[in-house]
Amino acid sequence: MRHTRPWQQYFKLGVAALPSAKGLLPLVVLLGAWQLLQTGNSPYFPPPSDWWNGLMLLSKSGRLYPALSATTITLLLGLVLAVAVGTGVGLFIGVFPRLSRAIGPLLEFLRAIPPPAIVPVAILFMGYDERMKLTVVVLAAIWPILLNTSSAAERVHPLLLDVARSFRLSAVDRMRLIILPSVVPAILLGIRVALPVAIVVTLLVEILTSIEGIGALMIGAQRNFQSPQVYGLLVLIGLFGLLVNNIFAVFEAILLRRWPPKTQSENF
Amino acid sequence: MDKGRLIARINWPGTAVLVFVGLAWEAAVRSGLLEYEYLPAPSAIALGWGELAREGILGPDIAHTLISVAIGWAAAMVLGISLGFLLGLSATARRYSLASIEVLRPMPGVAFAPVGLLLFGFSLKTEMVVTILPVLWPVLVNTMGGVTGVHQRLYDVGRTFRLSRKDTILRIILPAAMPPIVVGARISLGLALVLAVVAEMVGNPEGLGYGIVREQQALRPDLMFAYIVTVGFIGIVLNAAMLALAEALFPSFRQLRGAP
Amino acid sequence: MGSAEKRSDPGDRAISPAFECRLVTVEFLHKFSRKRIIEDISFLVRSGEFLTIVGPSGTGKTTLLRAMGGLTPTASGSVLVHGKKLDGPPDDVVIVFQDYSNALLQWRTVAANVAFGIERNLDRKEIEQRVHDALALVGLESNAEDYPWQLSGGMQQRVQIARALALRPAVMLMDEPFAALDAMTKASMQDELLRVRDRTGTSFVFITHDIEEAVYLGDRIAVLKGSPGRIEQIFDIGLPAPRDQLSTRQLPKFLEYRYAVHQAIGREHG
Repeated sequence: MRHTRPWQQYFKLGVAALPSAKGLLPLVVLLGAWQLLQTGNSPYFPPPSDWWNGLMLLSKSGRLYPALSATTITLLLGLVLAVAVGTGVGLFIGVFPRLSRAIGPLLEFLRAIPPPAIVPVAILFMGYDERMKLTVVVLAAIWPILLNTSSAAERVHPLLLDVARSFRLSAVDRMRLIILPSVVPAILLGIRVALPVAIVVTLLVEILTSIEGIGALMIGAQRNFQSPQVYGLLVLIGLFGLLVNNIFAVFEAILLRRWPPKTQSENF
Repeated sequence: MDKGRLIARINWPGTAVLVFVGLAWEAAVRSGLLEYEYLPAPSAIALGWGELAREGILGPDIAHTLISVAIGWAAAMVLGISLGFLLGLSATARRYSLASIEVLRPMPGVAFAPVGLLLFGFSLKTEMVVTILPVLWPVLVNTMGGVTGVHQRLYDVGRTFRLSRKDTILRIILPAAMPPIVVGARISLGLALVLAVVAEMVGNPEGLGYGIVREQQALRPDLMFAYIVTVGFIGIVLNAAMLALAEALFPSFRQLRGAP
Repeated sequence: MGSAEKRSDPGDRAISPAFECRLVTVEFLHKFSRKRIIEDISFLVRSGEFLTIVGPSGTGKTTLLRAMGGLTPTASGSVLVHGKKLDGPPDDVVIVFQDYSNALLQWRTVAANVAFGIERNLDRKEIEQRVHDALALVGLESNAEDYPWQLSGGMQQRVQIARALALRPAVMLMDEPFAALDAMTKASMQDELLRVRDRTGTSFVFITHDIEEAVYLGDRIAVLKGSPGRIEQIFDIGLPAPRDQLSTRQLPKFLEYRYAVHQAIGREHG
C-alpha cells in the first residue's frame, strides 16, 4: 500500500463505496408525485415546495439556526463525554475479568431499560434545563460504548497478553501499547451504535420539554398546525442524521486504515 | 445437568452484587442517607407496581403497548421480508433503491411523532407512524443481506440438481437466508417496543410510555419506576420468546446463539 | 550478548551453557485436583546450539516452552539462563509463538512490530539500526512499511522472528513456529532459521511434532514423551553442516536418526 496522495485515494474509495445515485429514484418519484398531486391547500399533506417556504420562514425569523446549533452541540458534547467515560470505565471493567463477571448481571439489568424511558426520570430529578438534556444524552450514548469496550478488552487475545508479559511490559505500557489499540475497532463500533440512540434521545427531550432544539421547534410547529414546517423540519432532521452518520463513517474509515479489514456485518 | 454443575454455572458474584446493590439502595433511602425527594426505595417501587396492578391500570396499559408492538412489528415483518427478498434477488431493484434506503435509514422514529400528531391526533395510528419506518429497516436490510449472501456454492448445487427457479427460492435461498432474517426479526421486535414507548410518551397518551410520563408529571416516582421496570421486563421477555421460538423452529441454527 | 558473526568455537560450548533446565516440573491446579503436565525435565543448551524438542501432542511441549520463557511458573526445579535462575520472563530469552497472527500487533507496521521489544530501551538510531538488521536477516527489508495482515503466513512468521532477533537474545524459544505453513514455505523457513543461527550464534530451542523437521534442524534432539511428559531420550545429531533440504534428507544417517526418534516416541501417538 504505497500512498503517494493519500487523500485522493480515500476520496476515491469513499465515492466507490457509495450506492448508485440511481437508487434515489424512489424518493425523487415520491416527492415529485407529492408536489404535483397536491395543488390545493391541504393542511395534512402540503407539497414539498411549501416545506421549503416553511423552513425559510423559520430561518428568517431567526429561530432555525439557534435550534439547530443547540441540538448539534448537545449531541457532540454528549458523545464526547460518553466516549471519554464509557471507554475509561469499559477498559477498567474489561481488564479485571472478576469485576466484569460480578457486575455483569447488574449491567444486563440496566441495559434492558430502553434509553428513552430514562428521559422522564431525568426530568423529574433534574428539572427542565440544558444540564438535564446533556445528562440524558450521555447516559443513553454511554451504554453501547461501555459494553463494546469492556467486552473487547476482555477478549484481547491471550497470546497478545503473553507477548506483553514476555517482553516484560509494565501494566501501563500494556494498556497503552496493546490493550487500547486492540479495542479501538470496538470503541468505534460502539460509537456507531450510540449515534442514532443519542439523536433519538436528544430529540425526545426536546419534544417532551420544549427545551431549545430542533425537536422543540418541530413540536411547536405541530401545535400551531404549521404542517409545512413540520415536514420541512422532518426532512432537515433526516439530512442531519445522514450527514452525521456519513461524517462518522469517513472518520471511522480513516482511523481504521491500519486494522485488518473485517467484514462489516449489517446485523447491528 | 447434575446439581453440582448447575450450581457452578450460576454467576454467584454477579447475583450477590445485584442483591447487595438492591439492599444498599433500600437501606440508604430508608435510613435517610439518600435523602432525595424523587428517589424511591426498591420496596416502594414494588409496592407501587402492586398498586398499579391491583387498580387495573397496569393491565390495560401493558395490553395497549403490546398491541402497538404487535401491529408495528407484524407490518414491518411483512413489508420487510417481501421487499427484502425482492431487493435481494434483483440487482436492478437494488441499484434503483439502495440509495433511498440509505437516506431514510438514519431517520429517528421520534421525529415522526409531530407528523403523526398532525395527521391522526392522539391515536394508535400516530404510534404506527412513529414505529413503522425504523422497525422496517432491520428486517429489510437483514433479509436483503441474507438473500444476497447465499453462497455461490449453494446455487451451484441447485443447478447440479436442475432445480426450477421457484424451487431454488423455496428450498435453497429461503432456508439459507433464515438466520439473518430471524436476527433481523428479533432486533425489530426490540426496536418496536422502544418506539411504541416513545410514541406513547410524545404522541398517543396511552400505554406504558404514557404511564411513565404521567407518573413523572404527577410526581409519583415510585409508580414511574414501576412502569419503567415493566418496560424493561417486557423487553427481556419478548427477546427471550423470540430466541426460544427461533430455536424451536430452526434447531440447526447455531448462529442465533450468541447474537446480542 | 550473542551477536557473534560466526558460530562459537566448539571449545567454548563445553564451558558456557546458555540455557539449562534442572528437574523442571510444572503442575496445573484445576479446581481441586493437581495435574502434573511435565516432570523432571533436565537438559542444557550450549551457546549457538540448536536443540529440537519433539513429541506427540499432549505431552506438554507448549507448557515446557512457556516454563522456559518464564510465562508459567514451575512447581519444582529451576530454569537457568547463563547460570542465573529464572523468575519471570528473562532478558536474554525470546519466545516465538506458533500463532503469528495473534502474536503480532496487527495495527502496527512491520517495522514498528520489529521495534516493539527494543523501543523503550534504546535510542532512535540504535533502534533503526537493529530493526534494519533484523529485517535483513529474514529478508523483509522491502516490507517494512506494510501491515502484517497484508502479508502471507510465512512472511508474518518472519516478522515475529525478526522481532525476536532485534533483541539480540542469547536464546530463542520457538513453539512449532512453522506448523501452520505450507510445505514449501516451511522448507525455506527452516533453511532461513539455520542461516540466522549461523550468522548470529544464537541458541535455539525448537519445539515440533514433525520428526523430520526435528532431525533436519537439530544439533541435538530431546524426545518428550508420556503423561506427565518426561524427557525420554536425547540424541546427538551428527549430520554435516550446512544442511540441505534435498541432499541431507537423503543421507542414510538422516533416515537412521528419523527411525530412532520415531522408535523413541513409541507407538502411542497422541
